[in-house]
Amino acid sequence: MLSLDFLAGFTIFMLALIMVVSMVPGLLAGLQSSGIDYDAVAYRTGVILVEDPGWPAYPQFEQPWELVDKDKIQRMGLAVSKDTPNVLLSTKVERFFQNSTKENPFFTPEDYRKFVIFGDIPYSYNFSLNISHPDGTYGLKQAGDPLPPGYGYIRRVVKIKEPGVAVIVGNTTSPSESPYWTSSPTMPTQNFTVRLNFSQLLNQSINTAYRIDPRTEPVNVTITNFEAYLNDTSGATLKSVTFRKWDPTRPGIGPAPIPFSYGKDDTDYYTLCIDGKPEFYSPEPNAQVSSNISLVLKPAATSLFPLDQNSILDIKFNFDHDPPETNITGTHLYDYVNVTRTDLKTAVLEVAIW
Amino acid sequence: MACMNEDGQWIVLMGLLVAVALFFLALIINQSALVGQTTAEGVLEFPKNDIRDLRSAVFDYIDASCDSGVKEDIVAISLERKNAVVSFTADVTPWDNNLYMVDLHYNNGVTVYNETVYY
Amino acid sequence: MVNNAGQLYTMEGVAAGLIMLLTAYIVVSTTSIYTTGDTHIPDMQLEQLGSDVLAMMDTPDIDGGTSELVGFVKKGTGIGGGNDLQDEFLANCKMRSGDPDDNLRAQVYLSYRTLGGSVNTTLLSSPDPWFTGRENTVRVTRWVQLSQQPGDMPGDMRTDPQAVLVEVLLWRA
Repeated sequence: MLSLDFLAGFTIFMLALIMVVSMVPGLLAGLQSSGIDYDAVAYRTGVILVEDPGWPAYPQFEQPWELVDKDKIQRMGLAVSKDTPNVLLSTKVERFFQNSTKENPFFTPEDYRKFVIFGDIPYSYNFSLNISHPDGTYGLKQAGDPLPPGYGYIRRVVKIKEPGVAVIVGNTTSPSESPYWTSSPTMPTQNFTVRLNFSQLLNQSINTAYRIDPRTEPVNVTITNFEAYLNDTSGATLKSVTFRKWDPTRPGIGPAPIPFSYGKDDTDYYTLCIDGKPEFYSPEPNAQVSSNISLVLKPAATSLFPLDQNSILDIKFNFDHDPPETNITGTHLYDYVNVTRTDLKTAVLEVAIW
Repeated sequence: MACMNEDGQWIVLMGLLVAVALFFLALIINQSALVGQTTAEGVLEFPKNDIRDLRSAVFDYIDASCDSGVKEDIVAISLERKNAVVSFTADVTPWDNNLYMVDLHYNNGVTVYNETVYY
Repeated sequence: MVNNAGQLYTMEGVAAGLIMLLTAYIVVSTTSIYTTGDTHIPDMQLEQLGSDVLAMMDTPDIDGGTSELVGFVKKGTGIGGGNDLQDEFLANCKMRSGDPDDNLRAQVYLSYRTLGGSVNTTLLSSPDPWFTGRENTVRVTRWVQLSQQPGDMPGDMRTDPQAVLVEVLLWRA
């Protein structure tokens, strides 16, 4: 009697329990497929990347995040400055995607999670940046794993700011009309200087999206058609390239050289190419130049100095021969007139999180 | 009722237990749904892009030597098309003729934004 | 006494079952309300994309240059105007790392203050033949300052320097 009653009651209870339990997974499944949280994280990551210059950043710190060691990075943002959302700096982009698809990427998945994605859950991610070049081709940069179904997503359209280049072109048909050409070169050394006047470059009236800032971007100097500057020889000996910083507002302090070792392997700091040869030269190359010189001074080197609005940085190309082998002389200003600035390029940044 | 058999009450207790567990589950699910909803709504409701655009429009207005017609345009079209009450003033600062003090007010009924910026 | 006790287990079972089912019903009904909030996310993504594209089209590629957007608006509804603005806007929206995101559609409007002082909105691009008005659209806008009247515009538009609002309706087909 009692057992029949118990059986009936317990059966009703179990039936109801089974019905309820069978409802629960459906409830959860709807939640998982929507990927609400992933979309929110993807949006946040996109905002950090596109609208923030990261931390540390100029001018509060000497070196921005793309130049410091990993343990000093707080946050990775790609924007040129916080006033220019959606305009990304190419050096930051390069660092962010450095070797990202190769064997040993610069940033590990943990780094990406720690510096851009944030959050308690170890999210998987896929960042891609598709840069549209003026010639109609696309350059794709990617980091992360292949996309599974059901990821959170955001797409941001951006512009990429790339460094400008100062090109000095010799006139081979009538050499005497070349810029910085002299008929009476100095003895015994012939110097050609490229001067970076920071009071001109860091002019506040120029929008940061178009500003030349050697502290964050490479300085490119190229001399082509060097034949025009040769003084009846087949080549001129480039003895050294020196980098000196001085401050006209502080006359007591003399020019100081950039404090880095002059080894030819330091491509993180500078690259010096002569006559289009594939190898890199040290700043004391003692090499023959016959057609062109190309120098890139990277921000990692310029940021070794405390550079401010008053600083002047001289890049001196020193030719040393008696009798003179070259007719180049003078000072080329690396400023908004002489530097060919690259147009901003449209690109699409996609962030996927799951 | 003096001798009520209370042996069966553990079944009700178990039912209550399951109910309470379900409620907690619902609470968690609602919270996570709210995360996505509030993020999306926060983004949609806070007119970040509109305010940025308005700022750049005001800066353009200063660059174009503060034409009063342009100012009226911005105020009128904001009200009509963006449902936002906008007012701004741009005055030359006494210490620098090229520096303007911009006083910007924006209100679209949900978001109020005030800013004083030097341009 | 025995009869009374005989029904107790069944009663408790029914009570427990009712409690659980009621709770489950409440839970399901409350959460299903919130799932409608999901539709906000695609809207937010689309609005962000559209705003980005307009902002980037309004950023000149060279210092001191004219932006693409201003160039298009200056041409009004003529050649190199609204329709090209629509094409360029959509091309930028569709761009991504893989295949283009082809099912986006857009329609461009221009709002201006008329001679009479009222605000008028006119279609800048030719109307989209598939646009029914029932689509789930987002509207993104951008201010443009003009020094004169754009080409082929309605007669009530002013000719002096003015600020106009470019409005783009963007939706997924």
